[in-house]
Amino acid sequence: MASGLILGIESSCDETAAAVVRRGAETLSNVVASQIATHAPYGGVVPELASREHLRNIVPVVRTALAEAGIPLNDLDAVAVTEGPGLAGALMVGITYAKSLAYALDKPLIAVNHLEGHIHAVLLEQAELAEEPMPLPALALVVSGGHTHLYLARRNGESWRYRNVGRTLDDAAGEAFDKVAKLLGLGYPGGPWIDALAPHGNPKAVPFSFAQIKPKPYRKDPHRDDPASQFLFSFSGIKTAVLRYVQTHDLAASIEARRKALAEIPNPKPSDALPLCDEETLNLIASFQRAVVDDLRRKTFQAAEAFDSASVLVSGGVAANRELRVRFTAEAAERGLPIAFPSLALSTDNAAMVAAAAWPKLLEGETAPAELSAEPSLTLGR
Amino acid sequence: MTQATGTKVHEFETNNAADTIRAGHEIAKLLTPPKFLILKGDLGAGKTTLVKGIAEALDAADPDEVTSPTFTLIHEYEGTRHEHGKDEPVLLYHLDLYRIEQERQLDSLGLDEIATPDSIVLVEWGDKFPSVAKRSNGEIVMKSTGGDSRKITLTLKD
Repeated sequence: MASGLILGIESSCDETAAAVVRRGAETLSNVVASQIATHAPYGGVVPELASREHLRNIVPVVRTALAEAGIPLNDLDAVAVTEGPGLAGALMVGITYAKSLAYALDKPLIAVNHLEGHIHAVLLEQAELAEEPMPLPALALVVSGGHTHLYLARRNGESWRYRNVGRTLDDAAGEAFDKVAKLLGLGYPGGPWIDALAPHGNPKAVPFSFAQIKPKPYRKDPHRDDPASQFLFSFSGIKTAVLRYVQTHDLAASIEARRKALAEIPNPKPSDALPLCDEETLNLIASFQRAVVDDLRRKTFQAAEAFDSASVLVSGGVAANRELRVRFTAEAAERGLPIAFPSLALSTDNAAMVAAAAWPKLLEGETAPAELSAEPSLTLGR
Repeated sequence: MTQATGTKVHEFETNNAADTIRAGHEIAKLLTPPKFLILKGDLGAGKTTLVKGIAEALDAADPDEVTSPTFTLIHEYEGTRHEHGKDEPVLLYHLDLYRIEQERQLDSLGLDEIATPDSIVLVEWGDKFPSVAKRSNGEIVMKSTGGDSRKITLTLKD
């Protein structure tokens, strides 16, 4: 390992991203297409869902990442890429590019699971802040628009092992934020809007109750004989509950007025919405957020206790939510458990997390085969 | 039974989520591949719940494993149809176009590759796009009839 430098590439969903990270512990560059849209010295980039846009973005994004890191391609020790889960067409763009690059440079290619990447986003920043490594096993909550998963993460030599101990039965938590924001005439993605408005309402005003889903034993797994449980989330019901509240409290007219007012503001921000929300709406927003955050918090710490976790990690887009951070941090302190969150830039999809997750794999010689292809439904852990 | 031509309509009424899953079992029996159906219903109408039932009946997934495709856009499940004493493989696709805004963004989803002779494709918010609506050979409409009750209408075009 001459340089310890890995180029990471991520294109699983909306973002085209590239990053250079040294030894899974030092970010030299971390480029996301949507962030360089306005100042693109290497060609314009368009953040979009379509694989066509990933195709257009991938070259400028990788070039920018290398230029910002200030390293020539030949200094790389490996090329890492997200293999799934995600959209097949979008994933293929990153995979094909990474494969070709690795082949041309005669460097190893490393395949990374997007969900493992989110966990390594936290570990990378811990390493950069030169903080004590998190004690293991760690209970990791990966929570975003597309995912709500709990993993037990531990190390085996250099490599990491994951066990899936929780998941959602229907909607991801971030999806509930998006749909409730839309329902209330706010912007997309919904998380930042709800996050910004919630502190102005009373979180106890509307009592939302979650269907209590009991942890259930693993099914169809004859090889497991310990009485382990799966912690299950469900965020479909609360979305419907908010809809019913809107209907029974005749909020439709005020929502429509807010939607129209925001549509007339160029690039509306959550602060623009505040004067457009009455007390009842702010209370509804605050109560919704409190209910979701508390459900995530309760089950995450129940799982941490059930699996004797030594620490807690929270990652993914919803990890940026401020109330979530405050309430998780308070409960962790009460329990004496170390807890870590990624910075905002590493909460959402990025490639630094992919390069960081690839480092232990490179050390263990876990390289990808030449026939690597996209795995849209890839899972992490058993 | 003689094969009638034209449009066939099947109606189901359900009173709770478990009922809706059972309606999914019944609907699965009526879906002979290839099918490309628009799945309509407001937020919270129970679209994902119905797909849980359809997937279960096709041995494609446990109800617990079927989750919302809103963010991930496409979920694919491999199942089996039991017909005339034979087991036929079937691919069940659950799509959600809620996040898609422009017709050209549909390109990345590869609808042509999905709509194979052995597939059943269920598309939420598919009526947003004329090209998707045109491709469909039927629809499932879910309506809330108060509380947890739902009316489910399956329309299959010839």
